[in-house]
Amino acid sequence: MNPENGALEGRAVFAGLMLASLVAIGLAIGLSTGIGDLPIPLGTTFTAITNRLGWTSTEIDRVYETVIWDYRLSRALVAAFCGAGLALSGAIMQSLLRNPLAEPYVLGISAGASTGAVAIIILGLGGGVLSLSGGAFLGAFAAFCFVALLSNGTRGGADRTILAGVAASQLFNATTSYIVTTSGNAQQARDVMFWLLGSFGGVRWPEFMLVSVVVSIGLVACLCYARTLDTFAFGDETAASLGVNVDRARIVLFALTAMMTATIVSMVGSIGFVGLIVPHTARALVGPLHIRLLPACILIGAVFMVLADVASRALIPQQVLPIGVVTALVGVPFFSIILYRLQRAA
Amino acid sequence: MGHFKSLLVALAVCAAGGLTNPLAAAPTSYPLTLDNCEAKVTFQKAPQRAIGLGQNSAEIMLLLGLQDRMAGTAFWPSKVLPQLAEANAKVKLLTVEFPTFESMLAERPDFVAAALPTLLGPSSKVAKREDFERVGVPSYLSPSTCLETKGSKDAYGSRAQLWNTEALYQEIDELSRIFDVADRGQALIADFKAREAALRASVTPGDKKLSYVFWFSSPSPSADAYLGGKNGASGFIADLLGGRNAIGAEAEWPTLGWEGIIAAKPDVIVIASLDRNRWELDKPEAKIKFLTTDPAVSQLDAVRNKAIVVMDGQAMNPTVRTLYGAEQVAQQLKALGLLK
Repeated sequence: MNPENGALEGRAVFAGLMLASLVAIGLAIGLSTGIGDLPIPLGTTFTAITNRLGWTSTEIDRVYETVIWDYRLSRALVAAFCGAGLALSGAIMQSLLRNPLAEPYVLGISAGASTGAVAIIILGLGGGVLSLSGGAFLGAFAAFCFVALLSNGTRGGADRTILAGVAASQLFNATTSYIVTTSGNAQQARDVMFWLLGSFGGVRWPEFMLVSVVVSIGLVACLCYARTLDTFAFGDETAASLGVNVDRARIVLFALTAMMTATIVSMVGSIGFVGLIVPHTARALVGPLHIRLLPACILIGAVFMVLADVASRALIPQQVLPIGVVTALVGVPFFSIILYRLQRAA
Repeated sequence: MGHFKSLLVALAVCAAGGLTNPLAAAPTSYPLTLDNCEAKVTFQKAPQRAIGLGQNSAEIMLLLGLQDRMAGTAFWPSKVLPQLAEANAKVKLLTVEFPTFESMLAERPDFVAAALPTLLGPSSKVAKREDFERVGVPSYLSPSTCLETKGSKDAYGSRAQLWNTEALYQEIDELSRIFDVADRGQALIADFKAREAALRASVTPGDKKLSYVFWFSSPSPSADAYLGGKNGASGFIADLLGGRNAIGAEAEWPTLGWEGIIAAKPDVIVIASLDRNRWELDKPEAKIKFLTTDPAVSQLDAVRNKAIVVMDGQAMNPTVRTLYGAEQVAQQLKALGLLK
């Protein structure tokens, strides 16, 4: 087999995979829109959507229409974008830090968001002007700035950034614990826990607008840096010798992932595991080149998150199960299979 | 405040009218519009399929005898008040945890009354008021909980001032008018007020002001104890019984080590009886055993004098249960000779 054929074949496999993922996303969102506590006939589901899109104007039950359009569809789409954003951020972090354990929250962003949220819930900071999500976003941003300062801007290198991230996580988690304990209320602690574990229960169309714009910007910008990210695999010095402005690329990419992660965490709480396992899964399927890896992460992350959300609603009817529980429970066995197969392939 | 005043006037008028028909309240004329937690809610008719979202909201509805007009309840941190168990059995229980928005809509509700902003509010992951508005379902949020959020330090009412029953009575009054059972609402409020007055009267003026510690639970005997704070429902109970909370923390649920509790020198230790079974010390027997056997704690005056009383833990949350809890405490203190 000559190399050109191999590249051609690789491209065909990649195209096929992308197409299959797109179909899978469509199906997953369809499934997510069709399943819920309220049994709604499939025909009504379609009519509700076409009605709201202005294609039809068939008279249907107002409750059905609201549940389908305002609740389930917006939720499924937000889940898709959050999954995509977290997986993308995870892939960037793993490449930038050259660490397979890196994930979107490695910069302490989730811990910072928690502190921000708790400060709003318990201390009432912001005097009601600042929403819970606003507080979480500010907290996440504060954590990011802390890490950026501690790792000496961008010059600190990968290890120092990780250490700074660990320190930030510890600091912000301790602050959260301090706030919760000093005004310790059983109910309060429970609400905070619920918030921290993540849920798509509170998202509607405005959240979709925000997350879709942020993740789309992140995706396009990261794709522009795909080649640069490839060079980071060989170390900062090699990257620099290949003509990459390492400092600038690093700060731009960190800022992009921080923006995506902070937006997602402040919207749905911290959802673990997606940002860690999806990039590894994608790498196993399409290889390490970022121009393929990043789109694959986006699509797989989206499908995984939408399906996890379906599971979180279907496992315990009538009750909200934190999505983070599902992503870990479903994700770990799934990931084990990938690890096992990789081992055999090697 | 306006409601409260008119309520007082109504009560005064009723009292003046003599005891034959003390509680004739005007029937509600629909549409009824209420100011509720900075929103205006309009009711076209009395609800027939209401959802009690949160234990306190559900228990108020049941106390008003509305079980036939309830389509479901959700979010129960503890068991229902025993005298309401039969009525509550007629109402569908969605879940004792956070319910989903859809599971509530599936019951085709025409009204939702919520107990906490975390169950219904802008930051809630369960539902926002607009969600119900969009399907034409009016919603109501407990004024006790949203008023706290507005003027105080935190969403759970870490209060600068002692909690009182005013907002609770406002909630009962408003719910009863929404359901067009204002007479039942007034009767319930009058009953609660009479019981409050009776409790206040059970202390002899000039007697020693008893100091109380309200022990909710602890993860382990060596861990800091969760206590009822100075200005929360626990503080209210102490005040109602002519005493004071020995714990000065304004937090709703301060945690304190036993050394601090011993230093506070309480005259009475109120221990919570909890339905949940998270920690061994949730059980009142386990609490009593610890109090009487721990070498240091057993030397407390309150323990040596056996001034230990058991109270329903839910009474330590500012709800209708608070008054029932105060009665439990008063009854036991009377038996001990600490109250007349």
